[in-house]
Amino acid sequence: MVRGWRWGERTWTKEGAWRGGVVLAALGMLALLVLLGRRHGFGAPEYLQFLLDGLRGGSIYALVALGFVLVYRVTGVINFAQGAFVMLGPMLTASFYERGLPPAPGLRLALAALLSIGIVAGIGVAVERWALYPARRASPLTRIIITVGVYLILEGAALLLWGPYAKMIPSFTTLSLADPTLRFGELRIKAQSLWIWGTLGISLLTLALFFGRTTLGKAMRACAVNRLAAQLMGIRVDTMSTLAFGLAAALGALAGIVLGPATRPTYELGLELGLKGFVAAIMGGLVSFPGAVLGGLLLGALENLWAGVTVAGFKDLFAFIILILVLLIHPQGFAGSEAEVERA
Amino acid sequence: MCRLRIGSVVALIAVLLAACAAPTPTPAPPAATPTVAPAAPPTPTPAPKVGAPYKIGFIASITGPGASLGIPERNVAQMVQEQLKAQGGIEGPDGVRHEVQILIFDDESKTDTAATVARRLIEQEGVVVLVAGTLSGPSLAMVPIATEAKVPMISMASARSIIEDPETKKMREWIFKPVPENLHSAQMQADYLKAVGVTKVCHLYENTAYGKDTFASAQAIFPQAGIEIVYGDAFERTATEFPQVEKVKASGCQAVVIGSIPPASALVNVAVRDALPEVRIVHGHGSCSPDLIKNAGAAAEGTVMPCGKILVADQLPDTDPVKQLNLDFVKAYQDFTKGEPISTFAGHAYDALQWAIAALKTLPDGLSLAEQRAKVREALEGLRNFPGTHGIFNLSPDDHLGFNYADFVMVVVKDGKFQVLPRDQWK
Repeated sequence: MVRGWRWGERTWTKEGAWRGGVVLAALGMLALLVLLGRRHGFGAPEYLQFLLDGLRGGSIYALVALGFVLVYRVTGVINFAQGAFVMLGPMLTASFYERGLPPAPGLRLALAALLSIGIVAGIGVAVERWALYPARRASPLTRIIITVGVYLILEGAALLLWGPYAKMIPSFTTLSLADPTLRFGELRIKAQSLWIWGTLGISLLTLALFFGRTTLGKAMRACAVNRLAAQLMGIRVDTMSTLAFGLAAALGALAGIVLGPATRPTYELGLELGLKGFVAAIMGGLVSFPGAVLGGLLLGALENLWAGVTVAGFKDLFAFIILILVLLIHPQGFAGSEAEVERA
Repeated sequence: MCRLRIGSVVALIAVLLAACAAPTPTPAPPAATPTVAPAAPPTPTPAPKVGAPYKIGFIASITGPGASLGIPERNVAQMVQEQLKAQGGIEGPDGVRHEVQILIFDDESKTDTAATVARRLIEQEGVVVLVAGTLSGPSLAMVPIATEAKVPMISMASARSIIEDPETKKMREWIFKPVPENLHSAQMQADYLKAVGVTKVCHLYENTAYGKDTFASAQAIFPQAGIEIVYGDAFERTATEFPQVEKVKASGCQAVVIGSIPPASALVNVAVRDALPEVRIVHGHGSCSPDLIKNAGAAAEGTVMPCGKILVADQLPDTDPVKQLNLDFVKAYQDFTKGEPISTFAGHAYDALQWAIAALKTLPDGLSLAEQRAKVREALEGLRNFPGTHGIFNLSPDDHLGFNYADFVMVVVKDGKFQVLPRDQWK
């Protein structure tokens, strides 16, 4: 992978120098983390707590990143509307839940969530059909800009529909606003964290089965590997693109819904989660599902560790430093060569 | 990050249309008095002389991040406009009646939009007084514009620097605000912490201008009361994890002061309560909202905070000078909005508009616009013992707010409700 910078070989290119510098910067940052942590006298329990909390946020980033990768692989578009899907999921769920039907809260929540995921998937399909399909011959950049436009429209629509107020989704465990805290000695884990981790696991498993075992999944993979060849084999490439959008939107909505009880969703929820999910997807190379999940978990964990040992107000700064670092190490990120897709 | 919002644009256009449509002069019809017996011949009362209408420019953050504050403020402006219409305008000292038009505009929570809209209202609409600025940022952006044009401006935001030049520490000549500051909140918190014997506190604040100001105010006030801030840190409003609580634990503070607004303040409240079941939690006045209790649930029990009187009006003693005013306002607001919950910010808008109206009432007929503006400014500076939703205001050339921090009430969350906590029950 790393061209032009190998230990023991005297190759020195501009690119290699960049990468060397970036690796050094990353190492320096890690050293800084440890040093700063010592200053506060943090021991293993504190670090473990930071890690656990970070993995919770990271799992959400991972779910969002999966949506980015899915769309990018099949259509070659970086879908910045993904954040809006993440926001719409919990907003719709909360609205349906508030309606009070059916009266059993557990059933109501499950129905509300399923209905919302279905609606958001439908919105995803509509976005592809009406916004991206007409521009299918435009350059990738144009289509990316279209997705940014779609994001702004969906966010604006959410503001008009729900106003600026925060919505509430009850804890999946207690079906009330109070989420129980499980204690293991010093360690605290919110019950919702277990739901989040479970959702991530099940989503991954389902995706693996879908892409590995079903004809439809295999057809989508074929589109990712070689669009033209797939088309020649009789696969409807356009349908696959639409499907990818619907699936990604459903995943995004799911991510937002399981996060719902841990936060208070507003129409603005999508911005941060969309960007962090994008960072996670970039960390994973933008084409690999396991890479995206790893990227998400790593981002969440590192970000929270960083916030724990330094000034917590700089938490978001860290995610975007990582974005820049990764883009420097992995400069082909946006272009994502054909060969890379095949490797993944 | 590009923060253009289609929704804001659509909403702005809607508001502009609404605002343009509103000022069609409707000569107030002489109200038919149903109490007059039909048999009695109508005694021709001399029709009051009607002067030119006065315009109040009202700018709030109706869309964007400030919208949860700005929408109640807009509701109040619409309500006050209706009240004024129903009363047939206001009467000057010379008995001349004037219609009052409130031109409502949206600044989209943005400084540049605020500046543009303010300039437009001053130059094209010829407003006598501005009631402008939901948030501190947009308010500060309008300060130089109002000052330069010599137009009195009443802000609805809280930052001290809106009315006071931070360098010269002098009042800005043309700017006023009826909004208590974090400094007042911190004074009340310090009184409370001292009374209950706390000497070491942690301060967690949201990473916004508001949050940072709560921290700066605590840093200015707490040491004077013998209270040390052993740890202070910020968090993002969107955060779901709070690694800060580990440091709170390590610092050994006896109370945690949270400088934030719900729902963020509620989530921090829960995280702190989870890690430290015994620690005292004190919020700032930004948390005085049912949203705190709704979002923090049981974790909010026992937390205390200084609040404006408007939120606990029904619990105030009957001797309180602004109890009735608040009860009346809350009722009128809820009738007008069909049951929207009352908010502090609605109160600020109401106070600001009442100040403006009181000042407009001092204008004799026949003044030029510049004279009207100067006279309104003088009248605002002269408001004494003026009852408002947050207390009794006493303005002067040296104090364009005139709020006494003791007009805050300390409130505790008990059984899921805000309850007034009188000083003799602080323990």
